[in-house]
Amino acid sequence: MWVYEKKLLYPVEVKECNPKLARYIAEQYGGADGELAAALRYMNQRYTVPDKVIGVLNDIATEEFSHLEMLATMIYKLTKDATPEQLEEAGLGPHYVNHGHALFYENASGVPFTTTYIQAKGDPIADLYEDIAAEEKARATYQWIIDVSDDAWINDSLKFLRERENVHSLRFREAVEILKDERDRKKIF
Amino acid sequence: MDATERRDMLKNVQQADFVVVELTLYTNTHPDDQEALTQWRLAIKEAASLRKMYEKRFGPLSLHSIPSEQAIDTGWRWNQAPWPWQM
Repeated sequence: MWVYEKKLLYPVEVKECNPKLARYIAEQYGGADGELAAALRYMNQRYTVPDKVIGVLNDIATEEFSHLEMLATMIYKLTKDATPEQLEEAGLGPHYVNHGHALFYENASGVPFTTTYIQAKGDPIADLYEDIAAEEKARATYQWIIDVSDDAWINDSLKFLRERENVHSLRFREAVEILKDERDRKKIF
Repeated sequence: MDATERRDMLKNVQQADFVVVELTLYTNTHPDDQEALTQWRLAIKEAASLRKMYEKRFGPLSLHSIPSEQAIDTGWRWNQAPWPWQM
């Protein structure tokens, strides 16, 4: 089970309304390589991996939910004071007519989240390679968002998240090596 | 209540908790690294102490902590703004 902590993993400072940036950040909120996909993917794969790597999946999945909350905070704060006209100018007109000022799990183009973005193959090596790819794709997405954002405060939080993808990727690579070592040891007798 | 002080103290908790998150992930894949395991234990201790300092004044961050009398006296309730996305 989980216990709610009334704090963010890392501070999110929003100084001004910027619905266009919020729209771009949505790519990491409800997009194919985003935090929701990552959290759900690892949380679900953890049941069918060897004991030695369950912790890696369990703990990274848990951290992804805290990343999701950071992104939600950014999107909420960047859009909460926007007028319908400002949202429309930012390309969020279709979002507004369906969701108002609410958040929604969708990508930067407004496509709703789908579990077809993620896989659970029941093969630990196949699953972990997918997870490594997911982290690298998320890292790249954060970089592209930072490239089009001139908000120094938001970029600070996005850079933190970008670095976390690197660390997670490394931990998944180590998990693969742990499984390979174990497999090779079983062959020698 | 000093909002800046609260923010600073919360930042200390966030920092210390993050060290625990990071060392937990590291020790998951380096179970035999004794130095990392020592750091990990110390990090948990440090995080608990900073959390206690914050919670004593501003109330529990989770319902694993007992609300202090000081927090109750100043009107702290769990279901009370600001929530993290409102701060």
